[in-house]
Amino acid sequence: MMADAETGGTQKPRRKKVGAVAVVGGGIGGMETAISLAESGYRVYLVEKNPSIGGTMSQLDKTFPTNDCAMCTLAPKLVGTARQKNIQLLTNAELVEVEGEPGSFRIKVLRKPRYVNVDKCTGCGTCMESCPVRATPQIPEPPKVAENLEPEKKARYDRVIGKYPDRKGALLPILQDFNAEYHYLPEDALRYVAEVLEIPLSKVFHVATFFTAFSLKPRGRHTIKVCLGTACHVRGSPKVLDAVARKLGIAPGETTPDGEVTLETVNCLGACALGPTVMVDEEYHPMTVGRIDALLKKYGWTNVDKAESAPAPADNEALATRGAPAR
Amino acid sequence: MTKLCSVQELDGLRSRLSAKKDPRRRVIAVCAVPGCGAYGSEKVPPALREELKKRGLEDKVEVIATGCQGFCEKGPITVIRPENILYTSVKPEDAAEIVEETVVHDRVVERLLYKDPVTGERAVHENDIPFYKHQTRNIFGRNGLIDPNSIEDYIAIGGYAALAKALTKMTPESVIAEVKKSGLRGRGGAGFSTGQKWEFARKAVSPDGAKYVIVNGDEGDPGAYMDRSLLEGNPHSVIEGLMIGAFAIGACEGYLYVRTEYPLAVKRLYIALAQAEEYGLLGKNILGTGFDFTIRIFRGAGAFVCGEETALLASLESRVGEPRGKPPFPAQSGLWGRPTNINNVKTWANIAPIIANGADWFSSIGTKSSKGTMIFSLVGKINNSGLVEVPMGITLRRMIFDIGGGIPRGKKFKAVQMGGPSGGCVPESLLDLPIDYDQLTAAGAMMGSGGMIVMDETTCMVDIAKYFQNFLKDESCGKCTPCRVGIAQMHAILTDITEGRGKEGDIEALEELSDVVKNASLCLLGGTAPNPVLTTIRYFRNEYEAHIRDKKCPAHVCKKLITYKIDAEKCKACGACLKACPARAVSGEKKVAHVIDPARCIRCGACFDACKFDAVELL
Repeated sequence: MMADAETGGTQKPRRKKVGAVAVVGGGIGGMETAISLAESGYRVYLVEKNPSIGGTMSQLDKTFPTNDCAMCTLAPKLVGTARQKNIQLLTNAELVEVEGEPGSFRIKVLRKPRYVNVDKCTGCGTCMESCPVRATPQIPEPPKVAENLEPEKKARYDRVIGKYPDRKGALLPILQDFNAEYHYLPEDALRYVAEVLEIPLSKVFHVATFFTAFSLKPRGRHTIKVCLGTACHVRGSPKVLDAVARKLGIAPGETTPDGEVTLETVNCLGACALGPTVMVDEEYHPMTVGRIDALLKKYGWTNVDKAESAPAPADNEALATRGAPAR
Repeated sequence: MTKLCSVQELDGLRSRLSAKKDPRRRVIAVCAVPGCGAYGSEKVPPALREELKKRGLEDKVEVIATGCQGFCEKGPITVIRPENILYTSVKPEDAAEIVEETVVHDRVVERLLYKDPVTGERAVHENDIPFYKHQTRNIFGRNGLIDPNSIEDYIAIGGYAALAKALTKMTPESVIAEVKKSGLRGRGGAGFSTGQKWEFARKAVSPDGAKYVIVNGDEGDPGAYMDRSLLEGNPHSVIEGLMIGAFAIGACEGYLYVRTEYPLAVKRLYIALAQAEEYGLLGKNILGTGFDFTIRIFRGAGAFVCGEETALLASLESRVGEPRGKPPFPAQSGLWGRPTNINNVKTWANIAPIIANGADWFSSIGTKSSKGTMIFSLVGKINNSGLVEVPMGITLRRMIFDIGGGIPRGKKFKAVQMGGPSGGCVPESLLDLPIDYDQLTAAGAMMGSGGMIVMDETTCMVDIAKYFQNFLKDESCGKCTPCRVGIAQMHAILTDITEGRGKEGDIEALEELSDVVKNASLCLLGGTAPNPVLTTIRYFRNEYEAHIRDKKCPAHVCKKLITYKIDAEKCKACGACLKACPARAVSGEKKVAHVIDPARCIRCGACFDACKFDAVELL
C-alpha cells in the first residue's frame, strides 16, 4: 500500500502537498518501493508490523519461475533499506489511522513496545543468551495411531503395507491398495501409513487428495461413472450425466443415502467409439438418455426413481386425464 | 516352458510354433476387449468353440480372442482366415450360423458382412472395406493375429526376433544410430526425435550406474485410446521395444506406467511379464548374452498431468504428480536422480519393427519430416469410429471421408479436434492438410497422442473451448500461478459467454490471457492449454460473436441460449414428449397440440429426443 504525495486529484488542493511517502509493509515489494522512492528524493516512512523487515520471502528457498535463491534477491534489499538515509524504518509498528487526501494526509502509527533501546542495540544477541526465561514451545507428542488401532484393523493395514518391503516410493501403491480394498481411504489408515513409513502426515494427505482415484469420503457399494471425454462430450454425455444425476437424486461425487451407489465422472474411459459411455463398477455400457432407465433397473436402482416422480404438480390438468407418466 | 538360453533356442521355438500354425488352417479371430465387451464380445469366442466342439472341429479350427482390431463402430469384429472374411457386430447367437455356413460349407453369411451405408453394397473381405483399405497397419495390424495372453502367438509371428538381433548382431550405439536414421519421432505428441533422446540418456553418467527406461502409458487425452488397445492387444510388442531401448541406453530396469482407468491392460501386462520371465526373456543373462533387465508395472492414480514426464517421475517416486522445471532433463536426472528415458507406448511399439526391418523400411513411409505410420482414434460424429493406422502425410479429408465414412445422418462436417486438450480444432478449409507434426503445429493444432474427434454442425465451438478449459482447470496441478489462475479465468469468461453474459472485449481478453498462460507456465500442460481457445477463436470467431452479440448459440448446444418449442402443425399429440419430460414442462391433451412451458423447461432435450415427428424445435 503506497500513498504518493505527488499524485494529487484534479480537485483544488486544500492543503499544501508534502514530499513524504508512507509505505506500509516491509516485504520485498515494500522495500523495493521504499528504495526507489527514496532514491528519487522522497522521504519515506516504512511501516512494518513485525519486529524486522523482510516479509515472507525470507522464509522461501526458491522463487517462481526461475528457481532463483530467495535470499540472494532479498539480502541486498534489506541492506539497501537500512542504509538509505531517506527511509525511516518503523518496525514493530502498525498503521492505525489515515486522514486527509492523496497528496496531503496524516497517518497514525502504533508502535509496539520493544523493551530495548533501538538506538543503542547492536544486535549482538548476548541478552538473548543470558535470559533465564526461555519461550521454548512445549508441544505434546501426538498419540501413536498404532497403539489405538483395533488389532484386526491393524493386521489388515499391515498386510497391505507388508506387500511393499521396499519403503522407497511405496506410498502411492499402498494407497491404491487401500483404495481398492475399502473404496476410499480411511483416515486412520492414512495416519497409520504416515507413522509406519515415517513420512509427514501432511505429505500423505497431499498425495491422497491430489489424485482423483482416491476419495476421503466412503463410497457406495457400486460406482457409476459417466465418461466426460471429448468424444463422449460431443455425442451428448453432459445430457446423460444430468439425467443420471436427476434420476438417482444425487450430484456427481455423491453417494445415495442408502450407501448403494456413488455417481462419479471420469475424463475418459478409453471406450470412445461407444460414446457416451457409462461404466458401472467394471462394466461398460454405451448410453443414451433414453437407455438410462433400463440400466438403473438392471442394477435395481429404481427406488430412487420414485422420489423424483412423487411431487406431481397439481396444476397440470393433462396429467390427470392421462394418469401419472409411465417411467 | 523352458528357459531360452540362446538366440538359437528362441529361433528353434519359433519354428516349432509356426510349424504348428499352418497358414491354410482355418482361424477365427474375434476381438474381445472391454470396448467391444459392451456388446457382449467376450461371450463370442466360447460360443464359437462350443459350436465347433459339437461338430468335432475343435482341433481343426482355432478360435482366438484377440485385442482390439480397430473397427470399434461395428464391433465385435470377427475375421475368418485364411480367406480374411470379415463379419461385423457378431453376437454369441451368430456362432452356430458362422460355423455351419462358413466353416463347414465355405459359404459367406451375407447378413453379417459389412454394408456400405451409402451404396448398400456388402463387402466380404477385410481389405474390401473402405475403413481398412486405406490403412497401413504395420503396428496395429498384429493385434488381429494373436491372443494377447499368449507369448507363443507373439513369438510365432516373429516376436522377440528384433531383440535377439539387437543383442547379438548390434551394439548399443548401432541400435541408437538405426533408430535415429529411421526418423522416428515421439508418438506422445511433442514429436522429439527418439534416437536423439536415447543418445542423451546413453551418454549421461549415472552416479551408481543405474539407468531407467519407462513406458508412458498414462493416456490421459480424452478421446484417445490407442495406447490402451496396444497394451491390451499386443503387450509383448511394447515390452520388446522397451528391452531394445534398455539395451541401447544401458538401463537394467524398466517401468510400465499405466493409467488406473485401464485395469485390463494392467492385468494383461502382468501376464505378459510373467510369460517373458518364464522363457528367460526377462531377468538375468537374457538369451545368454549377458544382458540383465527387469520390468515393473506401476499404476497411475488418476491425474492427467502425470502424462508429463517430470510429473510422471514424481508420482513414480510416490510424490504428488507435479511437474518441475527443465533442465535438468530426465535423460540427465530422472527417476531417483538417475538418467531416465521415457517414451510413449506407440513409440516403444515402433522399435521392434524398425530393428527387425531396418531404418530404411521405416523411413520409406511418411513425409519428409514425419516418418512411419501413426495410429489415430477417429471418434465423435463419424460413421466408422475406431482406431486407424495411416502413413504420415495422409490428408485429413481422406481420413475423415474415405476411412471414416463421413458424418452420420447427413450432417455437415464442422471441425476436427486433434491432439487432446493441448491441441486445436481444424476447420473444413484445412481438410487437405497432410498430417505431419510440423504442418499440424502450423495450423495451431498438434499431433498429440492421436485423438481425432470429429465435430459436425450440431457441435458448438465455444462449448468445446469451455469443455477443454474446464477439463484443464481440474487437471492443472496448481503448482504455478499462470496455469492455475489463468485457465480458471478463461473458463469463467467462456462460461459467461455460453450463458448469455458475454460482452464486447471478451474475445480480446481471452487472447491476452492465452498469451500469458502459454508463455509463463511451468510445463506444457499450461503451455498448450490455450490452444483449444485460440484455434476456435481463429477459425470460428463468428460463433463467439453470435454468443456475445446476439445471445444465440448457432449449434443449439448452450443450454441458457436455447428454447425448445413444439410446432403445433407437426405435433400429432401422441404424448411421447409429455411422458419423457422430467420437469413436467409439457402440457397437452389428446388430439390437441402440446405446449412447452419455458419457465419450467430445464432444457434437457428429452422431448426433442422422444418426438418421432420432429415437432419439437430448437430455437
